[in-house]
Amino acid sequence: MKKRLNGFLTLLLVLVVQIGFAQEKTVSGTVVDEDGLPLPGVNVIEKGTNNGAQSDFDGNYSITVDEGSTLVFSYVGFTPQEMVVGASDVIDVTLKVDTGALEEVVVMGYVSKRREDLTGSAVQIGSEDLQQTPMATVDQALQGKVSGLQISTSSGTPGSVQDIRIRGISSINAGNDPLYVIDGVPIINTNVGGSNATSSLSSLASLNSNDIESITVLKDASATAAYGARGANGVIVITTKSGKSGATSVNVSSYYGFTNNAIEGPDMLTGAEREMLYYEGIMNTFGVGSMEAAKDFEAENLGDYGGYVAWNAAGRPEGNWDEVIKNEDAPVQEHTISANGGGEDHTFYASVGYFDQEATVINSDFQRISGSLNLTKSISDNFEFSSSNTGSHSFQDGLLEGSAYFSSPHTARYFQSPIESPYNEDGTINLGTTIPNPLYVGREDIDESKLTRILSNNSLAWQTPIENLSFTTRFSVDYQVYNYKTYNNRVRGDGDDTNGYGYQASRNTVTYVFQNSIDYLMSFGDHNFDFKVLQEYQKYRRNFIAAEAEQFVTDGLTNVSSAGSPTGAFGEFTDWAVASYLGTASYNYDSRYILNGTYRREGNSRFASNNRWGDFWSVGAAWNLHRESFLAGSDFVNSLKLRASYGKTGNANIDLNQYQVLFNYDADYAGTGAAYPATYGNEDLTWETSYTFDAGVEFGLWQNRLTGSLAYYRRESQDLLLDVPLSFTTGFDSQFRNIGRMENKGFEAELDVDVVRSSDFNVSIGGNVGTVDNEVLEVAQDANGNEIAVTNPNAPSGSQRSAAGTLVNEWFLPTWAGVDPETGVDTWYVDGEGTETTTQFVEANRVYQGSSALPSITAGMNIHIDFKGFFVDASGYYAGGHQIYESWHRYINQPNLYATAFYNGYDALLDRWQQPGDQTRVTKSIFGGEPWTYNSKFLHDGDYFRLRNVTVGYDFNSNITEAIGISSARVFVRGTNLYTWVKDDNLLHDPEVDATGFTSITTPPVKSVVFGVNLKL
Amino acid sequence: MKRYLNKFYGMILLVAMVAAGTSCSTEDLDPSLEQSKESANAILSVGDMEGVLKGAYNRFSSSGYYGRDYLVTNEVRTENVFSNGNSGRFSTEAAFQYLPNSVYIWDNAYEVIAVANILIQTDLSTLELSESERAYAVHIQGQAYAIRALAHYDLLKTYGQQYVGGDLGVPYIKTFKGGNDFPTRDTVDSNISDILSDLQTAFDMMSSDFFDPSKEFMSKYTAKALEARVALQFEMWAQARDAAKAVIDSGIYSIVSADDYVASFDQDGGANSIFEIAASDTDNAGSNSLEFIYRGSTYGDIEVLPSVEDLYGDSDVRADILGYEGDKLRNMGKYPNRAANVIVIRYEEMILTYAEALYQLDNAEALTWFNKIPENRNAEAYTEMSEENILLENRKEFIFEGLYLWDKLRYEEGLEKISPLQNILEDVPYGDNRFAYPIPLSEIDANSNITQNPGYGG
Repeated sequence: MKKRLNGFLTLLLVLVVQIGFAQEKTVSGTVVDEDGLPLPGVNVIEKGTNNGAQSDFDGNYSITVDEGSTLVFSYVGFTPQEMVVGASDVIDVTLKVDTGALEEVVVMGYVSKRREDLTGSAVQIGSEDLQQTPMATVDQALQGKVSGLQISTSSGTPGSVQDIRIRGISSINAGNDPLYVIDGVPIINTNVGGSNATSSLSSLASLNSNDIESITVLKDASATAAYGARGANGVIVITTKSGKSGATSVNVSSYYGFTNNAIEGPDMLTGAEREMLYYEGIMNTFGVGSMEAAKDFEAENLGDYGGYVAWNAAGRPEGNWDEVIKNEDAPVQEHTISANGGGEDHTFYASVGYFDQEATVINSDFQRISGSLNLTKSISDNFEFSSSNTGSHSFQDGLLEGSAYFSSPHTARYFQSPIESPYNEDGTINLGTTIPNPLYVGREDIDESKLTRILSNNSLAWQTPIENLSFTTRFSVDYQVYNYKTYNNRVRGDGDDTNGYGYQASRNTVTYVFQNSIDYLMSFGDHNFDFKVLQEYQKYRRNFIAAEAEQFVTDGLTNVSSAGSPTGAFGEFTDWAVASYLGTASYNYDSRYILNGTYRREGNSRFASNNRWGDFWSVGAAWNLHRESFLAGSDFVNSLKLRASYGKTGNANIDLNQYQVLFNYDADYAGTGAAYPATYGNEDLTWETSYTFDAGVEFGLWQNRLTGSLAYYRRESQDLLLDVPLSFTTGFDSQFRNIGRMENKGFEAELDVDVVRSSDFNVSIGGNVGTVDNEVLEVAQDANGNEIAVTNPNAPSGSQRSAAGTLVNEWFLPTWAGVDPETGVDTWYVDGEGTETTTQFVEANRVYQGSSALPSITAGMNIHIDFKGFFVDASGYYAGGHQIYESWHRYINQPNLYATAFYNGYDALLDRWQQPGDQTRVTKSIFGGEPWTYNSKFLHDGDYFRLRNVTVGYDFNSNITEAIGISSARVFVRGTNLYTWVKDDNLLHDPEVDATGFTSITTPPVKSVVFGVNLKL
Repeated sequence: MKRYLNKFYGMILLVAMVAAGTSCSTEDLDPSLEQSKESANAILSVGDMEGVLKGAYNRFSSSGYYGRDYLVTNEVRTENVFSNGNSGRFSTEAAFQYLPNSVYIWDNAYEVIAVANILIQTDLSTLELSESERAYAVHIQGQAYAIRALAHYDLLKTYGQQYVGGDLGVPYIKTFKGGNDFPTRDTVDSNISDILSDLQTAFDMMSSDFFDPSKEFMSKYTAKALEARVALQFEMWAQARDAAKAVIDSGIYSIVSADDYVASFDQDGGANSIFEIAASDTDNAGSNSLEFIYRGSTYGDIEVLPSVEDLYGDSDVRADILGYEGDKLRNMGKYPNRAANVIVIRYEEMILTYAEALYQLDNAEALTWFNKIPENRNAEAYTEMSEENILLENRKEFIFEGLYLWDKLRYEEGLEKISPLQNILEDVPYGDNRFAYPIPLSEIDANSNITQNPGYGG
């Protein structure tokens, strides 16, 4: 809150300064281009008047204006620039060349480059695009915008973590999340949630997307090698908004809307349907001839086992659980006010924001208040100070969603019996349900996360006396205070056996980054050099303390202090550090031939002292053909570039201290602490490395009406940090070793077309597509030279594994051979194919299914139309070529007692086998349970298309806005995830699943419709 | 000229910067180690040894092992109980449908063994110990031998091929990080001899001076009691007789009386207890405890088959272990709450072991010893001993404790389908391959020297 006030105060002060004095004076100066050459004939106009002048042959100008007025400098082929007239009589201006997209400056973290000078693959998304997605975390806006970037919403809970994969999977066990960089500083972006059982919380949720100027996705080695050691999975560079010199402008953006689940999910059996399947199960299992006979058999042998006798006596009331737990049309809203401006020697950007979203089920929501203040200030001619600061407080009222918990409201429709009622006849909540009633549990239990985060990034730049040599020192701190609280009530649910259960945790993390860098520019004729050396040290510290307790004294007091029996106390400290040295060199000859080189040496505390340091590098080259004489002045080809790069990047994202042979002490026995061997250890452990080749062509044709690019990449990861399975007889299950190789390769293409381009009518369409062809090349071997296949620990029951020649985490399951039409039971191929089948699951050998959960192709599409202020934007996302597995089918999609007596089943089970000759994929109903049979029957094609965003809006005519005293105004309606196409008819759940590839019955992605307004004062 | 000079200075500064960079020390990157110790510093005193010993017992107490799964998986494969599917737990085991993707106790038991081997390998001469500390250190190593034997015995019963017509046992691991991470399966006979040898070493090394009245740590005669159990199971009647007799003659333990029988399961360290796994209000398996699986609605999957009520005579106090929750017949008396210790072996088993061994050796005293148990349960005395009566009395006395399965297998009995409530669809006869658990696929993946049991695929 304090931060927010600061922002306002600054804003007020600046306004006061701006309007304080108005005094006529003569201003003069020189206008030059970026190379320092004078620009003659530049128009210099006092904004809003006819008062103007032109620069002479040496670039000099002179004009008489009021102090406080704004000068606009414009020149054909250059970006116009505005300067506020302050106390100084001299205003020198450097104009930047504006030749369309190729001149766009791409922020790459440590450095920024003109697109023309890039030798690597980088895609930059501007703030306009980022705001098209009304969601809590800004990374969700990237879906469909960047070729080769795959993102899936692992949970629809607002604020939860998203899975992002850039150009496939480069590591089996050392993590595949990209590195995040904010304003040049690597940050830790992990799940900060306090429990695996409940909702995750992304640390990105603490950022307001309105404060973000751009996000750049770095994909190839030439772009990521600057982050060498941690760049193998790609880098996402976030740049926050900064102030702009000129009059202060104030932006107000606001929307309010409604969300629902994007996909309804399978319809469930009614009580009556379930009853029919239940008695049919008795008929099939015990050879009873009719439904009536089955009821008699039950009464005689089983009592009211299924509960249907009592249900009939009560008048057959239907539970309708999915209705009662819904939060229909859950509101979502976001409001941001920002201001930016600046004078001769300073700029500022300040904002306050509020975001609030309720979940699509009862008792869950997310709120964030945030404030930011970014300043630059010239201290003298040679020194400039910059500071970016964000403070935010996020609150997440989460859900039990880490697994298929019975008490979660989302699972109620699947797990609650439809013959039990949510409410008693008197309208009170029914506490007598077999599974705890989520209406009560949701109301009484607590699961909340509070995250306060302060990000402060401060730098001082010194333009040294040596020409073109500058020195920058930077200090950044990311401070997070996280509080988590769980409470399970005394009456019903997970706390009822212990008279209540409470757990509270507090975690403080701080990450410091120190950077010192030197930049040096050098030119000889057409030879241009650009050097940077940088030293960086990053330190992470984490303090954690928590307590748990049972036996609460009364209802309504939920902190652990009110519990009678403390059952656990936890306190720990961990840290890690990374030190690195970086050198980059760029050379271009007349902007025609470009060479880039990067070298980074990095040390990481995760490895033993003699294996700590790694060397990472890249080289890249580009040829701007449009600068050559044979294309100069071409009407057809405006830009044409060939580029290629190769380099080595790394990955070290494994648990701390794995190289050491350790004893842990967090166990106890008979009331005192106990010790046990915790890690097998490996002194030789060191960096996992990736070698990436990337080549591409970029083009702009017909006055850049058609722009696009095509790229090929191949990345080979080596010395994988593999968690190699050990024989359990060692006392351990695995040991980290550097072994194994893996390859990812593919094509990426982007194309944008301005179909109609005019002053008041424009149509443009665009799209991108990326492919990934993944193959594991080598894994570890055992003593006999047999491969040790690596099972994915995150996929249940060994259903995914990797070995030489397979996809990484390829599905490894018995192949289903259909339901036997004569007997109505499942059959499987004994060896995955052929004619030999079995009805005994244990006899069916597991085989690689030739697919994984990683889409082999993803694509994004977008269209923009505007006409006299009206506009329509639409974008979509396609992912395909992968397969995903249906979770929890054992309980809810097989016609056995789980579906017919304990929980509930899909209504698709009504297609069950009933008599010899029936052709169906649903087996006969049985009275009995079935074990987990992970097999290809429940593996579905994952291909889907999702209409990500549709926005319809209107920009008010400037005549109208000026009349009411504002500079611009926009109103819009925006729909998100309104339509989803799913290829596989048997896939009834949302196809957008987490990276492991299992459908979720807990928190599906949401769709929303919001109404918004943007005002600029 | 100045322009070029500038460039020169610039280059110098760049080089200086890089040079300064490489001077940063590797030690700056040493990580903190505040929750763990490096192994070289982990065992420096007898106190440290005791901490590691507790680590072994703690691994026994895991819900994947003695904390729940091991006892319940054995129990649901008898005619005592079934899984009602309330939370989906143990229905697979009760239906004999377990697959090689199940790891079951394979990891837990070998983790216990690893810790025991660390203690056995500890060279006491490298520690600074007083005389009394040295004696205690030897006693701890004795416990480690007994622990190693018990864990291997559990593995052998579960994964060995002795009841399915084969002769493969399990790898008997005698060293920690001993250099062979890819062991092969030893034979059943070799396992039995290693187990008995370890128990003898344990008995010899442990001292009665360190008898633990809480029973939460093994004592000298725990090793002897385990020896009696192992010998009986493998029909080494004379050794079973002698070991059981040694426990009886030690005079340390006594049969719990009829009046105290039910209450004894809620009292830690009773006079009949020989060894039990500690649990307490603050250290227990929580919702994964035996309490939560035997009763309650959170899980409550394990229900008692109706015919169990007919086992007990009218006055038999053991019938009071049973009770109803609603219309569900339950185990109400054993493992009454998750803070109650889990008994691994108790004195009554020694009496019945002694009687059974005498019976098998045709000793006339057998029936007298056998009837000591019903006498103390207000139950009718037996007029004769038979295999049938031995099974019946063991079943009545140790019901829900996970022991009856092994008694049945000793007498080559399979599992009968006696109720539609049972999870099996038909009888599972003795010799069925499923009486040997599958070796976990993850073990075979990591070590191709391990042979899978028959019937679980290639």
